[in-house]
Amino acid sequence: MSEFEPKIVAFFCNWCTYGAADLAGVSRLEYPPNFRVVRLPCTGRLNPKYILEAFKRGADGVWVSGCHPGDCHYIAGNYHARRKFMLLHHMIEAVGVEPGRLHFSWISSAEATKFQEVAKEVVEKVRACGPNVNFRKAELNLGLPEVA
Amino acid sequence: MSLPEINTKIQETAKRLLKEGKAEVVIGYRQGTAPMTVAPHFARTEDDCNQLVWSNFAKINLATYLPKFPGKVALIAKGCDARSAVGQVVESQIARENLYIVGVACNGMVDVELIQAKEPRPVFTAEEDMATIKLSGEGWSTSLTKDDVLRRACKTCVCRTPKDIADELIGAETPALSPDDYADLKALAAKSPEEKMAYFKGLVKDCLRCYACRNACPLCYCPVCFVDETRPQWLGKSQDEMDTFTFHILRAFHCSGRCTSCGSCEAVCPMDIKLREFNRILEEEVQRDWQYVPGLNWEQKPPLTTYRPDDEAEFIK
Amino acid sequence: MAEYIVKENALRNFFQALTEGGQRTLLAPAKVGDKLQMVECEADKITLDFANTHQSPKSAFFPQTQKLMAFHKDTSKSDPFVYKPLGLDNMKPTVLFGIRPCDAKGLVVADKVFQNNRFTDPYWKTAYESSIKIGLACTAPGPNCFCTGVGGSPFSETGLDALAYVKDGGLAIKAITADAEEFLKGLSGVEAAEVAGEMAELKKAVEAKMPGPIDMAKVASGEILDIFNQPHWKDTADRCLNCGTCTFVCPTCHCFDIQDEQNEKGGVRMRNWDTCMSWIYTVHGTGHNPRPTKTERMRQRFMHKLKYIPMKQDGDCGCIGCGRCVTLCPVNIDIREVAKQMNG
Repeated sequence: MSEFEPKIVAFFCNWCTYGAADLAGVSRLEYPPNFRVVRLPCTGRLNPKYILEAFKRGADGVWVSGCHPGDCHYIAGNYHARRKFMLLHHMIEAVGVEPGRLHFSWISSAEATKFQEVAKEVVEKVRACGPNVNFRKAELNLGLPEVA
Repeated sequence: MSLPEINTKIQETAKRLLKEGKAEVVIGYRQGTAPMTVAPHFARTEDDCNQLVWSNFAKINLATYLPKFPGKVALIAKGCDARSAVGQVVESQIARENLYIVGVACNGMVDVELIQAKEPRPVFTAEEDMATIKLSGEGWSTSLTKDDVLRRACKTCVCRTPKDIADELIGAETPALSPDDYADLKALAAKSPEEKMAYFKGLVKDCLRCYACRNACPLCYCPVCFVDETRPQWLGKSQDEMDTFTFHILRAFHCSGRCTSCGSCEAVCPMDIKLREFNRILEEEVQRDWQYVPGLNWEQKPPLTTYRPDDEAEFIK
Repeated sequence: MAEYIVKENALRNFFQALTEGGQRTLLAPAKVGDKLQMVECEADKITLDFANTHQSPKSAFFPQTQKLMAFHKDTSKSDPFVYKPLGLDNMKPTVLFGIRPCDAKGLVVADKVFQNNRFTDPYWKTAYESSIKIGLACTAPGPNCFCTGVGGSPFSETGLDALAYVKDGGLAIKAITADAEEFLKGLSGVEAAEVAGEMAELKKAVEAKMPGPIDMAKVASGEILDIFNQPHWKDTADRCLNCGTCTFVCPTCHCFDIQDEQNEKGGVRMRNWDTCMSWIYTVHGTGHNPRPTKTERMRQRFMHKLKYIPMKQDGDCGCIGCGRCVTLCPVNIDIREVAKQMNG
């Protein structure tokens, strides 16, 4: 059987990590293709329910990345976000989501190599957790009789 | 003070506040129509005031009603009611000058579910004083010590006497309790993710998704709750396990750094779900990270509305 | 109609026999956690000593979540994207044992909503009509019971196929319908007996202990708008939380919401309990809400129970007096008090 390839939903800030991903691309830095990126204006825009929704709909991992503290385009968006992340990170693990599924990082638009490193690390950690079976909505049971 | 003394004091105070114009309505409790019930009571006249009582059977947090009253309101408040009212002022839901808190020294409310576990026979009459609950039914009667049937939230209350936040106080200060040590949560945190998830999913397996917990919560004043949003619809409406679980996680998350542990959510739950288990996870974290206890201070900003440049989050890469 | 007894030592066999060798699903009062509920259960878990089940038995025929139909998206088959009904042709009939007479009457109220001369709900009809309902009369009504206040009785036979009461640790049973007589007479542990006389006496004795009728004459004769505009609604609504507990535990509350869920393979249409206490229950696509505040929403429930249902169902009250909402309402909104206010 081929190795499990995780599906990861990534929430990137438009002003930094999204740019870092672009830079990594044009710099021909190779990184794993397991992400589905959602571009946000700021990590402060990230509502925790987006993360839960991603898991609920079957994501194996979630990665949130924004600007380094102090570098926020909107002055303090990521400071506020950081407090939410602290609680959410704690909550998610306390209710039994495996510690390796949810990742946060600060990556500026110049840090293409950091992007590459973190991307690899996130994929490996999520891969180690295996498929998300506990924290996702069950497959719809259609219950229809078989028809040719 | 005995219950009748407190009742007289409450009624006198309410009448005085109405007369002095400090309040247009006094929110308190009156005796209920069924055994072991009380009804929230909105006293606007002297006659109304005479019905105000103090009871061990209070279920909900009276601060829940505050954002809906435009005028001057006086609140006959337990410690938790007073704390939630402070929270609403801090969050600009009500104006400080429109609120008058009459604090009552409280020694806890009883949990009807616990009473029924100890006394499963149908209770036809219940009498109470500050320390005992006398129950009787057809051909029997019994007496329970109030401390044995206290609500879980009341056992670790950090504000039984709202002396610092109330505008006036009724009753002598009740001895303070030792705060929640979260020992059970810490033990749980050491378990495997599977065990933790099984525990929390098990807690909410009977949930009817009636959202009584939300409606009884003094913090839940959003015009449209996320469970009622339809574009997009975040939560399915069926009894799906994950939809229910997500609701409870998000409900607790929305209350983080704001919850005063009044236990209203648990008291009103028709299925007696231990909802505070979710809230306590974050309550502990908020206290550890920011040393913040909600509802004890008129000036302090709630932790999620502010930040410090040096907040430590070592898990962020 | 025939009358029977089941001796105490034969109860287990009798309960087992109710399933007719697995042909029927047996629903009976049993402990689930620390709550007594009407659930599918084993014969030795059934309890006879209770006031009433925590929730009403309506979920036996009207589950909180029920899949109505489904479609698939497999275009290699002949019927993609066609909704097909689910569960109608393979629904296992139930036998309800131990349903209280008030709840049985509640099911009749709901039955007239789901089946009448304008609509028939096939899901309700299939489940309800194939079921056998054996009631258990109340000899010790609970503190908040008031079936006698709204035209019922702890020994009411409405909506039941047979009525039993506890006699010497066993059961005395009176068949009410011919189907029930046919069903009961061959069952293990059932012996023919004469119990109607004793039953009538018990009925009189228990009814004497219960509250008298609630006067609803003016509600019945009054104009809808007059009652609608009474001033007391605002006062009661002051303390209402719109929590919906009353509607979820009520045996006659039957409102539902239809939802579609789908994925890449197909979709399911399901119905879920809904509550008129909720803001989203009436909100329109435009954003307009004809019941904008909790006053209108709370009024709706009582108007529906005490005025609209009696108008539509030949005067029968929509409240059957089980007292669940009285017990569980966190702010003590008591339907008996509201009825008095509406009438006064």
